[in-house]
Formats: sequence, structure tokens, C-alpha cells
Amino acid sequence: MTMKNQKSGKLNILKRSEFSLILIIAAIFLIASVGTNNFFTSYNLTNILKQCSIIGVISISATLIIITGGIDLSCGAICGMSTLIVAMGQARWGMSIPVAIIASLVISILCGIYNAVIINEFKVPPFIATLGSMTILRGLIKVISNASTIAGLNKAFGEFASESILFIPKLAIIWVAVVVIGFFVLRSTTFGRNLYVLGSGKEVARLCGISIRKVIYMTYGIAGFLCGIAGIMLASRINSAVPTAGNGYEMNAIAATVIGGASLSGAKGSVWGTALGTILMTLIDNAGIQFGVNSFVMEISTGVLITIAVIIDQLKNKKA
Amino acid sequence: MEEDIILKVDHVSKSYPGVKALKDISLSIRKGEVRALLGENGAGKSTLIKCIMGVEKAEEGTISINCNGTWKTPQTAIESKACGMHANYQHVNIARELSIAENYFLGRLPTTRFRTVDWGLMNKESQKIIDKFEMGVNPQDKISELPVALQEMVTISKISVNQGIKLVIFDEPTALLENEKVEILYRYIRELKSQGVSIIYISHRLEELMEICDTVTILKDGEYVDTRNIADVDNDTLVSLMVGRKVDDLYNIQHNDYGDELLRVENLNSGKKFGGINFKLHAGQILGFAGLVGSGRSEVMRAIFGVDGLDSGDIYIRDTKVTIKSPQDAIKKGIGFLTEDRRHNGLALSLSVRVNINMYSYEMISKAGFINLAKERARAQEYKTRIGIKTPDIDQYVENLSGGNQQKVVIAKLLCRNPDILIFDEPTVGVDVGAKQEIYKIIEMLARQGKGIILISSYLPEVMGLSDEMIVMSEGKISGVLNKEEIQVTTEEDILRLTSASA
Repeated sequence: MTMKNQKSGKLNILKRSEFSLILIIAAIFLIASVGTNNFFTSYNLTNILKQCSIIGVISISATLIIITGGIDLSCGAICGMSTLIVAMGQARWGMSIPVAIIASLVISILCGIYNAVIINEFKVPPFIATLGSMTILRGLIKVISNASTIAGLNKAFGEFASESILFIPKLAIIWVAVVVIGFFVLRSTTFGRNLYVLGSGKEVARLCGISIRKVIYMTYGIAGFLCGIAGIMLASRINSAVPTAGNGYEMNAIAATVIGGASLSGAKGSVWGTALGTILMTLIDNAGIQFGVNSFVMEISTGVLITIAVIIDQLKNKKA
Repeated sequence: MEEDIILKVDHVSKSYPGVKALKDISLSIRKGEVRALLGENGAGKSTLIKCIMGVEKAEEGTISINCNGTWKTPQTAIESKACGMHANYQHVNIARELSIAENYFLGRLPTTRFRTVDWGLMNKESQKIIDKFEMGVNPQDKISELPVALQEMVTISKISVNQGIKLVIFDEPTALLENEKVEILYRYIRELKSQGVSIIYISHRLEELMEICDTVTILKDGEYVDTRNIADVDNDTLVSLMVGRKVDDLYNIQHNDYGDELLRVENLNSGKKFGGINFKLHAGQILGFAGLVGSGRSEVMRAIFGVDGLDSGDIYIRDTKVTIKSPQDAIKKGIGFLTEDRRHNGLALSLSVRVNINMYSYEMISKAGFINLAKERARAQEYKTRIGIKTPDIDQYVENLSGGNQQKVVIAKLLCRNPDILIFDEPTVGVDVGAKQEIYKIIEMLARQGKGIILISSYLPEVMGLSDEMIVMSEGKISGVLNKEEIQVTTEEDILRLTSASA
């Protein structure tokens, strides 16, 4: 390796979207810390981390799917279903905590596999397939819960979300674990590599001898599993299950992924980028509240942020 | 003389990040002149025509077009179109999900009195164009359902719907066309010329330039080399001007004695696509397949590789009968397939050279699903050097490489698996002469290593020059088999007759 190459390698790091995200996050963090009294408090920072964690786990599931060139609109609904099962399991069906957790994870994985069946066997585009399953799940949740809040969960279960290890909330630890595992899966496993190849084109993947069926089933299955975990985290956090749990999470997850540098046409995306995207979105939301910005205005700014992120990405692609 | 000039390119320079694509290029084109633009991949031909068409902006210098007596410098593609300039770009660029008729009239659909689209008129006019270009299709056929060659014909014939054409640029129009269609293209070019339309014609096939062009401008590494009359130059002169070195005989490769039989197919049939296919491939042998697009040659290979199914027939590898139901099966049995359309089937364009080289064979460097990343890099480096892939580093995206280097990445990808049988379907489409020769050297090396090679090409000099044995296909049947001696005494015309023989 010559000096020249090393230099261009460093430049690449600066150019990467992750780096600009870190800069923006740092800037908002600084401004909010200096500009408000309640931002830089342990209570608020812990709160931000908790908020990040649940949507962060779902965003990783969205990232895996988006890399394959697919999309999952049902992830929020799967999360909601998982919340409901883990709550009903404890409150109504007399399950112990582990059994309720396993039941809700199994259901979540099955939801993901259902998506894979519709997409792979019936050749329905992922957008439509998951739009369908999202609507079905939303309906099912209301039917099963009778559209009412399920309370009366085990005490230990509800406490989990408020516990910390060395000031780091347990929820955040789960998120970080998911991110780290996701990173290794994408970087170092054939499965991870196959996601990118599939995202480059089905025919490319097929001619490489990759079993598209296997990749799609695994991806949507794992995505379901992750949404299930997020659902359990959510149930613990609110210590109950509400029929609207996870509503709109799919859009936040897709937004975080896209802000993190993924491309909806596939083959592009990283878990670090997505994690940063999640942090950025949560941070803006939180800082807005601290500054007392109208929440409707905040919604507008989130929309603008997503648009700008994609525009920057497009400009970069054009230059390359 | 000045009024006779239609296009002036005056000291034009243009650079992309890291490369100077054009350096001080000047040239002018007369009315009714057919000018060839020649140069290796990366010589700047595509950039130059993009600047001429107003798609890209030149940084220095001016490009002026004689727009009915006044000189204009179009700033956008729309302005240059208004001046009567049209281009047929290298990669088929049409609305794939629309019909042929809609593509012809894109942007100016005719309407009836009631402001609705006049389908009747559109189909009638389209049918005229289709007949003129002898395409034998229906105006309502969807582009995506046509074979690539016909898609290319649609983009070429689409130019003829325009009025007041002054200059037409063809960028590798024949890369995907078979000979018969090339003749139709030539006829159209001559027609345009007789109407006083100027042509800029880009092709890597020198024989074509000799046949159709009046003059030739050679570019090398973004610089202007020379402009000559076609009548004053021969192939060798052009090649040496273009590459700056002498290419004695492009197809002069070393041939070997055959080894064991590697592949034998018996009586392969697949519906209407092909039938009664028998052939054998030996170690060290280069078996050529010639035939028009649609003659079944690529279809046979796709079936052998398990991409498409077979109705009947047996495949034997090393004399053992095998069943191949998917590309996975074929890969496991030691077959490597370089597909015709590398951009869509062979490469993951938005991924790095490193991933592309390895993506065919990750399980060879993985344990329990975990890739050995050091080996991944080492392998990419090794093949980059071995095959001579020109890229600053292996993390470069494949879409940034030139056609020839992309094709070398595909070959490296196949070789990582160390297959015994290699099927190369049009390995040199859109590849410049220098890279072509390098690819031939790779094929030579592989044959010497005892691999069995099937070479499909629409370009007869290539398949005739390289093959030890040659199979000609027509309408899904084998219409001729020639051994080395027979190939040498056969002319291209004889082969052409075989490719169009009805079985």
C-alpha cells in the first residue's frame, strides 16, 4: 500500500454518511445542552436512550430488509402484536414471564415468515405484501384485545425497562447488542453478504447460486424476531399493552434507515448508519420538546430531515 | 466550406473527479459525413458525445452546431435535440414497461379530436417503422418482453420518428445485434447520409467502420490522435493508432490437445427454444457456438446451467449423468457461466470489486457461515493481479469500472470457484480492443490449464478465430459442426448461411 492509497482511504471515512451524521448529532447535542436546562440531565439522557432502543431494534430489522431491496410496512404491527401477546400471556393466559416472551417471539417470527411466503411464493411485491399483513395484524390486535388496554403484567417484567446497569438502561443494552450482532452478520457472514447481492438484483443472486428463497425467509423471519423483541421491550416500558402499540413505527424505522444512508433500491445500508439515524431522529424530537417547540412543527422538521437526507445521498451518488 | 460544416468541437476539455476525460479535443464534421469515433474504453468517446449532446458540460472549449445557418452551443439535451441532433446511447435506454409504439411517440403522443391518445394512428405509424427496420414485431409489444437485440433495434429505429435530423450519434449500436440486423442498420445509415445527415459512429468492430464510415477520428486517453480517411487506413493502422502498440493477430492464441471428456449433452430439448442438441466438450478445448440471437445458443447454455428448465435430454459431466435443477447445482458440479448481460446478470454494480469477485464462492472461504475476511481481501487482490483488473483498489464500486474491467471482474468471480467447465456468453461485448485481447489471453490460459471452454459470440471473427471446434445453431437446432481445419477454410459468408439455415 502506498501513502496515496492510505490517504484516499481516510478521505473515504470523512465522506461517509456516518461521519456527517455524527457531526449533526454532536451539534444538536451541544446546542440542546447549552440552550436548555433539562436536556443534559441524567433523567432526560436515559429517557432518550430508552426511546432510541425500541425504535432502534425495529430499525435494524428494516435495514436488513431494505438492503435486500425489499420493504417492511408490517414491522410496527408485528411489534404491536408481540406487545399484546406478551401482555395477554401474563395477564390473561397465566403464562410465566419466559413462556410469554417465547410465545410472543414465536408469533413474531411466524408473522415475518408469513410475509416471506407471500413475497416469495406468490411473488407479491414486498410493499403490498407487508401492507396487507400490517392491516391484518392491526385488525387481529383489536380483535384479540377487544380494543382495550391489557394491564396487570408481572411486576418484574414491568421493572425491567426502568432498570439500568452502570447508568445504562437495560433496554439500551439490548439495542446495542442487536446493533453489534447486526454489524457482524452483515460484515462477516455469507448470509449478510447475500443480502447485499440479492439487493443488487435477483438474477445476479440466482446466477451466483444463492438460494433466494432461503435468504428471503431468513431475512423476514429475523426481521419478525427483532420486531418481536422490540414489542416485548415496549410492553415492559409501558407496563401494559395498548391496541395502538407500535403504530407508525414502520415509518420511523424506514426513515432512520434511509437517514443512515440506505437506499430503497437495495444493496446499500449499514447498521451503524441506521443506529445513528435512530439517534438523530430521537434527539431532534427530544431537543424540540426541551426547547418548547410545538409538536406539530416538530413533525414537519422530521419530514424535512428525511427529505434532506435522501437529497444529500442523491447528490453524492451523482458526483461519484 | 464553412457552411458545409455541421458540428465544430473546439478545444474541448472535461474532467471527472480524478480523471481528465477529455484533453483539448478539436474536430469538425461535414454535412452527410459518416465519421467513426475510435478509441479504447476510457479513451473519452462516450464523454465526448455526451458533451456534444449537451448531457454533460465541457469545462473548456466550445461545441457549436450549425442550426440552419446560425451557430449554436446547446446547453441541454433538449436544445441539442431542437437543433436536429440525436443520439443512440450505449446502454438500451427506453421505457421498458411501455409498448414499442409508445416508445416511438414518447413525449409527443398523437391525440384525437377529443384530446385522447390516438392509438390507431400511433400503431399505424409504428408499424411502418417496424416494417422498415424489418423487426417483425407488433407495435403493441412491450419492450421488456423483447430480446435484447430487438430492444436495441427499437432504440435505433426510434431516431427515425424525428423530423429535421441533422446529426445522429450511434454509440456501439451493433454490440448486441446479429449480422442481419447490422445490415438493416447500415441501410438506415446510408439512407440518412443520402439525405445529408451527418453520423458519428462508435464501434469497437473495425470491420464495421471500414464498411460504413467515410472518415475516422481516433482518441486515446482523452486526447485527439488523428483523423483519417477510411480509404487510407487498414485495420492494423487503426489498432496501432488506437492502442499505441501493434496487435499482430488478435485471435492468435495457442491451442492444445484435448484431454478427457468433461461435458456431454444428449438430445436436449426445451419446448420451442431448442431441440435435438448433442455435443461434447473436452478438457483444454475451446468449443465455439455461433448463431443469431434467438437461435437457441444462449438458451441451451442457460438450460445446462439450470437457469431455465429442460423438457428432456441428458447431461453428463465426466461421463456421469447429472441432474441440474438450479444454478446452485451447476456451480456445485463445476460449471461457471459468464452471462451475456453482465450489467444485469453478472455483476452487483453497486457493490465493491472485492464482493463481486468473491460473491460466487463465499462458502469456500467461510466456516459455519462466517466469512474469513482476510482471505476475502487476499483473494480479491490475487485475482485483481492475475486477471489484470485495472482499479485503484478492491473496494472500488464495480459500476465505476470500464466495460472491459467489469468483464474481468466477472471472469475473476467465476475462477474463484475453480470450475472445470466455463461457459462464456459474449465475453467481449462492449469491450475495447486492448481488453479484448487480454480476455482472449485469459481464455487461452484457462484452456491450457485443462478447462473446457464454451465460447458464444455473435461476432464471427472472434468465435472463428478462437475455437478449436465450432457449432453453428439456427432456429433452435444445430445446423453445422466444424473442426479446426474446417473453420480455417470456411468463410464468414458460409457460416452466415448456416446461421440462417432453416432446420
